[in-house]
Amino acid sequence: MVKASSSRLSSVLSGCADTIVAQATANGSGALAIIRFSGPEIQAVAERLCPRLSVARPREAQLVALLGRDGREIDRGVCTPYAAPRSFTGEDMLEAVVHGSPWVVEEVIATSVSLGARRAVPGEFTQRAVANGKMDLVQAEGVNELVRAETRWQARLAREQMHGSLSGRISPLREKITGLRARIEASLDFVDQGVVLSDEELRGALGECIGAVRGLLASFVVGERVREGARVVIVGPPNSGKSTLFNALLARERAIVAPCPGTTRDVLEAGLDMGGVPVVLVDTAGVRSTEDIVEAEGVRRAEAAAAGADLVVLLRSADSPRETVELWGVEKDRILEVISKSDLLEVAPTGEDVMTASCVAEGGLAELREAIERIVLAPLQAHDGNVAINRRHKEALSRAQEHLERSLLAPREVAAEDVREAGEALEELLGLIDTEAVLDAVFASFCLGK
Amino acid sequence: MAGARMGASVAVVTLHLETIGQMPCNPSIGGIGKGHLVAEIDALGGVQGWAADRTGIHFRLLNASRGPAVWGPRAQCDKDRYATIMRRLLLGTRGIDLIEGEATDLVVGGKAVCGVVLADGRRLKAGAVVLTTGTFLGAVLHTGEDRRAGGRFGERPSIGMGRSWVGAGLELRRFKTGTPPRIHRDSVDFARLEEQVGDERPRGFSWRTTGVRNYTPCWVARTPPQVQAIIEENLERSPLFAGQIEGVGPRYCPSIEDKIVRFPHHKEHTVFVEPETRAGNSIYLNGLSTSLPEDVQVAVVRAVPGLERAQFLRYGYAVEYDVVAPRQVGFDLAAEAVPGLYLAGQLLGTSGYEEAAGLGLMAGINAAASVLGKEGARVDRTEGYIGVLIDDVVTRDHREPYRMFTSRAENRLMLGVDSARERLMVAGVRLGLVPERVFHVEQCRWEARRQAITQLEATQLNPNRETVEMVLGMTGVEVRSPTTWAGILRRQDIDIRRVGDTLSGLAHLAPEDREVVIGRLKYRGYIERQEREQSRLVRLRGVKIPAGFGFRSISGLSREIMEEMERTRPRTLSEAAQLAGMTPAALALVAGRLATRGQGGKP
Ligand SMILES: Cc1cc2nc3c(=O)[nH]c(=O)nc-3n(C[C@H](O)[C@H](O)[C@H](O)COP(=O)(O)OP(=O)(O)OC[C@H]3O[C@@H](n4cnc5c(N)ncnc54)[C@H](O)[C@@H]3O)c2cc1C
Ligand SMILES: Nc1nc2c(ncn2[C@@H]2O[C@H](COP(=O)(O)OP(=O)(O)OP(=O)(O)O)[C@@H](O)[C@H]2O)c(=O)[nH]1
Ligand SMILES: [Mg+2]
Repeated sequence: MVKASSSRLSSVLSGCADTIVAQATANGSGALAIIRFSGPEIQAVAERLCPRLSVARPREAQLVALLGRDGREIDRGVCTPYAAPRSFTGEDMLEAVVHGSPWVVEEVIATSVSLGARRAVPGEFTQRAVANGKMDLVQAEGVNELVRAETRWQARLAREQMHGSLSGRISPLREKITGLRARIEASLDFVDQGVVLSDEELRGALGECIGAVRGLLASFVVGERVREGARVVIVGPPNSGKSTLFNALLARERAIVAPCPGTTRDVLEAGLDMGGVPVVLVDTAGVRSTEDIVEAEGVRRAEAAAAGADLVVLLRSADSPRETVELWGVEKDRILEVISKSDLLEVAPTGEDVMTASCVAEGGLAELREAIERIVLAPLQAHDGNVAINRRHKEALSRAQEHLERSLLAPREVAAEDVREAGEALEELLGLIDTEAVLDAVFASFCLGK
Repeated sequence: MAGARMGASVAVVTLHLETIGQMPCNPSIGGIGKGHLVAEIDALGGVQGWAADRTGIHFRLLNASRGPAVWGPRAQCDKDRYATIMRRLLLGTRGIDLIEGEATDLVVGGKAVCGVVLADGRRLKAGAVVLTTGTFLGAVLHTGEDRRAGGRFGERPSIGMGRSWVGAGLELRRFKTGTPPRIHRDSVDFARLEEQVGDERPRGFSWRTTGVRNYTPCWVARTPPQVQAIIEENLERSPLFAGQIEGVGPRYCPSIEDKIVRFPHHKEHTVFVEPETRAGNSIYLNGLSTSLPEDVQVAVVRAVPGLERAQFLRYGYAVEYDVVAPRQVGFDLAAEAVPGLYLAGQLLGTSGYEEAAGLGLMAGINAAASVLGKEGARVDRTEGYIGVLIDDVVTRDHREPYRMFTSRAENRLMLGVDSARERLMVAGVRLGLVPERVFHVEQCRWEARRQAITQLEATQLNPNRETVEMVLGMTGVEVRSPTTWAGILRRQDIDIRRVGDTLSGLAHLAPEDREVVIGRLKYRGYIERQEREQSRLVRLRGVKIPAGFGFRSISGLSREIMEEMERTRPRTLSEAAQLAGMTPAALALVAGRLATRGQGGKP
């Protein structure tokens, strides 16, 4: 397959206005494979590749034979033509569903290339959709995220973003800012004609815009949690049952468990899906002071892991509840204290509001799992849930916010410039202005055929 | 005039000698954006600002409460004296011949223009011809149903010229403008109008001027709601709405009938009542531009409180005229299709005396330079409003009369009237239009302002008791943390007049310069950021587009933009960016495509 060159956008644009083709389904054999075409020469390609297909009947699935360069049948497949502009890319398109043999797919693509099509580079279909105004850049990102979604929340947010949930909040904001700028300009250029915009009114309007930007920025924690997931680090004294809990949560024997303290020396990580959010679970060495240099290094790493955690599950064993670990530099609200091996407890701990759990007997483990899940999903609950900005969005919105806040204090003619720049930050966000770098970054992570 | 002073021998041909310097509309020079142009024309050695200073009767600085970037100096002039002075200036300039007559055709030798033919058969030979037909080309005047050929009230149009240009390959377009009625001073009840006095400390435009003064106030009236009814009743008699006028008028300077139709929810419209001369009787009704029939004009004006007894001296009218469609001249204002031919003024689709003067000056300079074998002049759009104006005329497609606004200038903050001389006077000196001695005096002044800024930035203020009290006493501001005087003066709530007289570093400057210094301090942070940004943009904008570049091969471009680019063939991304209808997204596609070809060279 074609490899993206060093400047990705460049290669995306290298053959624009031509017809592109790519396999839209994963490589390798499968029951079926989908091959996508987009561009002005669809008809010419189809005339030779699948002569029985009627492109004059767009959006109709037609079972036809696909012919190779020698005119012999490659396969029979279901082909659906789309007519510009009513297609994903906004151009004429064709989607062919064939049997998922790598040979069949390669023959179909090679044949269409011989007929004038070009192998698409990753993201090129979506890029054309953006270029043709079928969607904005934020929606395009949604498409890509949906394709890559691995958890329920990722899929949900990606889908909403693709359908315009986020764009639907950014676009009106951008229009509002543009409108405000026009009013500022008019108040400067037309004072002699009695156009006024009072300072209070301007401040009020700016305040509204800033509020809206802040609201969007606040959803970053949601996006971050959903996209990046959470790091949950199990910490505790040696032998407190950390590795046992680690394995129990993963439901597989990933870490070595042994009755002697100091079993785990290194940091172990494993991914799992908790409530639709990707979680990286981390097992660490038991924390204690030790002469053993290997173990001491393990302790250091355990403490470092705790510092970088979204949540620390801090264990102490029921048989030695006083033996615990002081975590410096980890805020209280990032720590979940748990008394492990609760089956060894003779009496329930009194006066302490601490969770208890056992990994060998009934009791507490399910609750512990739920408690972790609740904390991991907390940021999602705090928001309406259908928008969640990513890092690129955050960067642009922060820039907009900075400019808007500055404009509150600036002389009006300077404020005009800041408001303009705030608007430009949002335009860049939506992909309405340039910049090669932005597009490059966004499309760099696309799958082929999207 | 600039051409003659550069050493060329110049013939000025006009239809009527006595109408040179005639201001057919409001006899006022300057305003916001326009005042910027006048200041720049003056810095380059043009005479418009000087003439306005000498004949001004009412001076006002618009946006005075804002920073220097958007100050808009404006002068109401004595219409008769302005024309007289302009005529005298022309007569007194060595190297100018004034000729009355109608130019009907161009003399073309080979491919280049080498003169003009007059209606009476005379032929004038010239190395370069500058055309400035204003509102005269194919002009038609409208007042109500009445429609006659004419370039301005009482003046005939110019007919022959247009035909010869169409032959020469210039595309024409039809624009429209209008003017309000004039009424007799004695018929106005001034007591019922709101008086608007000129500035307490009036300032002139020109480095040639030592002082100006106000001779008269102006007045403000408001149209009552019944004006709406009067106009609506008579709309079918309006040439504008009856379809008689096809020319496109300026949106920002609409006629009263336009305003009524477009903003029906505005119950009131402002009318500035302005004397046309210092001592004469004619009063101009700024805001009541109209081409309605005479009887309707009378009804409308007399409905305005204070103008009930108005006696008409002249009725308002609209004029439709031919202009050369934009983008047919180069940056030197030479017509691309016809070598040796320069275009300027309202003919290029602009509107207003200041825009016309700016273009006229630059066309004159460049035409003379081409004949004399000298280097002409060009102002970049980042250097001044003249640059913005010319750049827009050369690269953008405007479909209505073009007027200058400050918002057209991308780096407005650096292009205030206060810095016009700093930016452009050196070019005026080079061309021989500004005496060097004037330049040296000015230089000292700029230097003093710059030093003041440095000093204020450098003076530390620490919050000890002594300093706190001193600053509090001088400004009313309490110093809480270490800062500089510049830091204090940047605040929005400082009363400049209070500090200006006492603060060392400011006190020795003229009051106007103090305001400039403080204004620039306030812009400083922003400008520094902008400069950083600029270096990034310059890189992108300078990217060259190779000659044979195929715009059609870029997918995702709209047809209009593609055709536009094929037609105009921009040479750089920055030129492409300025095309009519160009969107940032489209520009990104072009940029991307260029990168592919590996031809995106750095400037
Ligand atoms: C009715 C009216 C209303 C206006 N209203 C507004 C307004 O609302 N706002 C605004 O900003 N501006 C307005 N103006 C515009 C302003 O007057 C012009 O922009 C400015 O005067 C244009 O200057 P110019 O030098 O290009 O042309 P003009 O001042 O029109 O001068 C043209 C000159 O060319 C001469 N000429 C023309 N053809 C020939 C020929 N064939 N041979 C020889 N000589 C020729 C004429 O005699 C005249 O001297 C208005 C003008 C008019 C007439
Ligand atoms: N009764 C009981 N025993 C447990 C429980 N969890 C762990 N154990 C036992 O405790 C011992 C230590 O368990 P690990 O999971 O290895 O403990 P650890 O905290 O990882 O120990 P180090 O890695 O050495 O720090 C093992 O023998 C486990 O079987 C529990 O819930 N109940
Ligand atoms: Mg362990």
